[in-house]
Amino acid sequence: MQESGFWLWELVGRLHPLIVHFPIALIVVAAVLELFTFGRFNSKIRPGIFMLAAIGAVSALLAAPMGWLLASNEGTSGEILELHKWIGISTAVLSVILLAFLPFGKRELKAFQIKGFRLTLFITAIGVSLAGHFGGALTHGENFLTEVLPQSKDENSIESTPINLATYQEELTPEKEMKLIGEVRMVLAHNCYKCHSGAKIEGDLRLDEKEFVFQGGESGQILIPGKPEESDLVRRINLNKNHDDVMPSKGKLLNAEERELIALWVEKGAPWPDGAAQQSVFRVAELAPRNPSLPPGNSEMKNPIDLWVNEYFQKNKLDWKTVVDDKTYLKRIYLDVNGLLPSPKELEEFENDPNPQKREIWLQKLLNRSDDYATHWLSFWNDALRNDYTGTGYITNGRFAISDWLYTSLRDNKPYNQFVKELLNPTEKSKGFIEGIKWRGTVNASQRTEMQAAQNVGQVILGLNLKCASCHDSFISDWKLDEAYAFANIFADSTLEISRCEVPTGKMAKTEILWEELGSIDSTGSKAEKLRQLANQLVQPANGRMYRTIVNRVWKQMMGRGIVEPVDEMDNEPWSQDLLDWLAFNFVENGYDLKDLIFQIASSKIYQSQSIGYASADEVLADDYQFEGMVQKRLTAEQFSDAVSEIIFPLFSEEEVKYDPYELKSPEVSVPTFARASLVANNPFLTALGRPNREIVSTSRDTQGSLLQALELTNGERLNTVLQKGSEKWLNEVLTPEQITRELYLEALNRSPNEQELAIALKALGEKPNAAQIQDLFWAVILLPEFQVIE
Amino acid sequence: MNTVLNRREFIKKTSAAAMATMGMGAPLAGLLTSCERGKIPSTADSVILLFMAGGMAHTETFDPKKYTPFRKGMESKEVLSTFPSIPTALDGVHFSEGLESIAGVMDKGTLIRSYVAADLGHILHTRHQYHFHTCYEPPQSVVVPHLGSWISKELGPLNPVIPSFINIGQRFSVGEGEELKAFHSAGFLGSEHGPFLIPDPSAGLDSVRPPIGMSTKRFESRNRLYHDLISASSMGEFGSDYQKESLKRSMEQAYILLNSPEAKAFDLSLEPKESYDKYNTGKFGLGCLLAKRLVNQGARYITVTSEYEPFMGWDTHDNGHTRLKDMKKLIDSPIAQLIKDLDQSGKLDRTLVIVASEFSRDMLTEGRPGLKVKDQVEVPDKIDDLKNYGMHRHFTDGCSMLMFGGGIKSGYVYGKTADERPCKSIEKPIKIDRIHQTVYHALGIDPETNYEIEQRPFYTTPDGHGKVEFDLLKS
Repeated sequence: MQESGFWLWELVGRLHPLIVHFPIALIVVAAVLELFTFGRFNSKIRPGIFMLAAIGAVSALLAAPMGWLLASNEGTSGEILELHKWIGISTAVLSVILLAFLPFGKRELKAFQIKGFRLTLFITAIGVSLAGHFGGALTHGENFLTEVLPQSKDENSIESTPINLATYQEELTPEKEMKLIGEVRMVLAHNCYKCHSGAKIEGDLRLDEKEFVFQGGESGQILIPGKPEESDLVRRINLNKNHDDVMPSKGKLLNAEERELIALWVEKGAPWPDGAAQQSVFRVAELAPRNPSLPPGNSEMKNPIDLWVNEYFQKNKLDWKTVVDDKTYLKRIYLDVNGLLPSPKELEEFENDPNPQKREIWLQKLLNRSDDYATHWLSFWNDALRNDYTGTGYITNGRFAISDWLYTSLRDNKPYNQFVKELLNPTEKSKGFIEGIKWRGTVNASQRTEMQAAQNVGQVILGLNLKCASCHDSFISDWKLDEAYAFANIFADSTLEISRCEVPTGKMAKTEILWEELGSIDSTGSKAEKLRQLANQLVQPANGRMYRTIVNRVWKQMMGRGIVEPVDEMDNEPWSQDLLDWLAFNFVENGYDLKDLIFQIASSKIYQSQSIGYASADEVLADDYQFEGMVQKRLTAEQFSDAVSEIIFPLFSEEEVKYDPYELKSPEVSVPTFARASLVANNPFLTALGRPNREIVSTSRDTQGSLLQALELTNGERLNTVLQKGSEKWLNEVLTPEQITRELYLEALNRSPNEQELAIALKALGEKPNAAQIQDLFWAVILLPEFQVIE
Repeated sequence: MNTVLNRREFIKKTSAAAMATMGMGAPLAGLLTSCERGKIPSTADSVILLFMAGGMAHTETFDPKKYTPFRKGMESKEVLSTFPSIPTALDGVHFSEGLESIAGVMDKGTLIRSYVAADLGHILHTRHQYHFHTCYEPPQSVVVPHLGSWISKELGPLNPVIPSFINIGQRFSVGEGEELKAFHSAGFLGSEHGPFLIPDPSAGLDSVRPPIGMSTKRFESRNRLYHDLISASSMGEFGSDYQKESLKRSMEQAYILLNSPEAKAFDLSLEPKESYDKYNTGKFGLGCLLAKRLVNQGARYITVTSEYEPFMGWDTHDNGHTRLKDMKKLIDSPIAQLIKDLDQSGKLDRTLVIVASEFSRDMLTEGRPGLKVKDQVEVPDKIDDLKNYGMHRHFTDGCSMLMFGGGIKSGYVYGKTADERPCKSIEKPIKIDRIHQTVYHALGIDPETNYEIEQRPFYTTPDGHGKVEFDLLKS
């Protein structure tokens, strides 16, 4: 305990906050009134103004020394105090000058004196307001004012602020205590909750609530407030990785900053103020849409996407890469829009097209090929909505396909809000998504079909992970078990009973959408009524999250990596919040038009720029990832198969087609000459190339080669048979070896072979090639990394 | 409180003791490894799981009860076993008739008589198989890796040209094929740890040799052409990336495998005739032979299945007695021969062989005693027809399992079932998470092994709670 000073000085010091309100109020009022006297030096209200200014100035003179006393008695210090102090002293000095202007007695002021008075009064008013603001910040916290502003309101999450230990070294104000415990809890949440929270309680220890932390675990108290050196918590997080007692015992250790923070917190007496529990320890993305105003454009750059990217590049000191040539661009849009390779003829036509707008025109032309577009994007949506033609559940009617609905929705470019509405409040044809897969027998409570619906709608539509919270309060987000059940209950015929880690709790679920901002659901309504309400509430533009989720997914499909990653975790930080927000906002403004979004992206300069190759997949997903341009993309199983079918010989027979949209086709639609891979039942060839088993939602595919895949490509019967048949076909066309090589390179790689390549190929083909030699050239070319990766 | 040493104090004291020992010149390395986390000394390098798909009745195989021969009009409730018992290499331990060869090698392993399968509502084969092979009850919110995939991920191949997870004998074109696919997957561990499928062991070679009709010479020149073309082109205009590199690398691996002398292990025709004949009881027997050959070349994890196909194999919904005669013929000689061969070559020491089924069968009880589930089969009270003589209902409360080698006790019987119906586990009931954890332990895989998937840790056994059953292991 510090020796306390003389009581009177302390009392006088503590009167500072009371006294300061006089100068703040009076001088500011005087300044405001003075504004009304402009143009009239002898206004009738001037005497009143003089009176206010006089009392204000005197009280300011009094307040300053009292404040000094307060600061030294209470031992306050810090940057804000310094600011407050010096502005306060300046204001006191200004008050003296102000007093000097005042006309004591009957003295009349001259015009220049009035002007001097005015100037001093205004400066003093500003000074006193500033001093008042920082004084307020001292007592109520730095963000006392700004935290209620709309743009900062949702940033209560403290994740993004790096830990600044220095701010805690001094005496802790209640605000700092709150901030400190927030940071401490965040460290605990991200490193310890996995084993020490309601979800999983190892060693009888929970760290997710105050009571439990102080209660300790099976080996007793974990901390002694004020004594870090005697606290087990501090000891164990500081141990060597190989020590038996080290914590966390799994995963990575805490970094130095985090360890010091915990020690400091304990040293400061382990403060845990009430209300700390309301602070989020996870980053939470905003729900509401946001329309950031576009950076200024110029003649070269008109696409808003490019304006945002340009701003990002400038901020991060990155350069634009060169724009790719016509053949690369054409290949990209063919594969990204329709999943097919351009034919040599189309390529030639495109390259010779003199129209300066040809890229946009051809892009639009591809988007207009609705059946090809739908066939290609069907795979993406089948993965996401776990729709397949064969698979678990169909055998017992425990699962329903939505292929017909999905295909026609894509073909007709159904507005996305309507698309989601029909998934959530389905017809017979679209009910498969929320009905899920019903396995025979009993299943985990967290996998009942209603919970599957909640999880899948959360993941796919909202970019939200509810899987953790569907079994127990989540340790990876703020979502609670009750909230997950309340959401699942919307999909239920009768009210669900909440189970925690498979044990029924006896508590019945509420019926709620995850965010109350989106409105409520009538819990007494029938399932159909609840679903109708849910569909309407979720698709409203106010649900910015849903639209950010979809634009981010489409961005990833086109650009190889999401603005937010993983794409199912939309609470993660985007590399450009502005771009993400703008895309989502614009998407809604443009009538939820997916094709328009694709057009917007594919016509941007950044889409047309050189792609980036990375040394490892980790770099692409790293926390400190910097966007530099499109990430190179591996051909999907379907794109690869279709390319082989197109160039060489159809990989799949018509009998393997499980969904045939061309049964419904209008006469003008040309049917493809081969069975497209997205329409056939899954098979070992497609599986090896990465088509998932669609039993669970799948929103990104493994794009690296593996031994099993390479074996399928090297000696798998399907590919070899097709290559053989294709080579026989080519043999019949009586081409010279050079023609064969040139044709193949043009078809597969959209380019001519270089001299060396031509020489190698000619040597392999011999003078009079047989089918086997052609077949082997096919094989070598389609397995080239250049063929399999979109640059 | 004070009288009890807490764990921390205990460790402080023991490390002080350890320090003293060190001062006296005790071997340092030993102390260091025992302190090092995550290092479990392994007792096995490879695992062969011989899977009796479809539900193998324990009372008809490795845990016989009172034998009641068939006679017209006999009461169903009388029947516990439809075969007489035979002695085994272990004193006082009997098998059911028809398993004489395996009985002869039982001194080399452990017989578990108290495996208890899960209750998953309906007792369904594919769901229970999913549970057996992954340790997780289906469905799950992520694609759960197979036991073999975990092992592949943690230990990698023993020999780089032999795939680390090989699955022999299962076709996926059969009924419930889609359900089988659901758990024959590496899930989030990545497709490179998925199963290498050999549906027909006698055609195993086809999977690891150049495409049919392609000579070795042509295969080599094709590969050279591929590499020449890669070198002649740039890696593409904008340089290399990890995907391209992984493609090149995997093609290289495949080529090495397809061209390697080890690939001969897949060729059953190279097996001496005498040995081949001992194994050749059919597809399953040849699967055992292939497993032996592959383990000798350094395979890591192999499943040989008797193959699940609804109402076939061990899935006896009728004619149980008659069909089991055939099933025993199918498995008895090859399993015993596999154990003998591995033992003789010295491989058994480091190879864990398991014989198991997803659940057992009984004539009357469906599921488990006290838990009523839907009967899969009509069983008459009085049996007039031989086709009703046998174990036709699904039973989960007592199943037999065999384990040999790889650190497992020799000549040991673990657990016990009741001698009267229901013949359920009455001693040391053991569940799947314990079985898996014991296998991982034998392989030296940390019991807490987990990966973060969708931000949550996902463990080899649910929540990492599986315990090692040290009682099965040699000390």
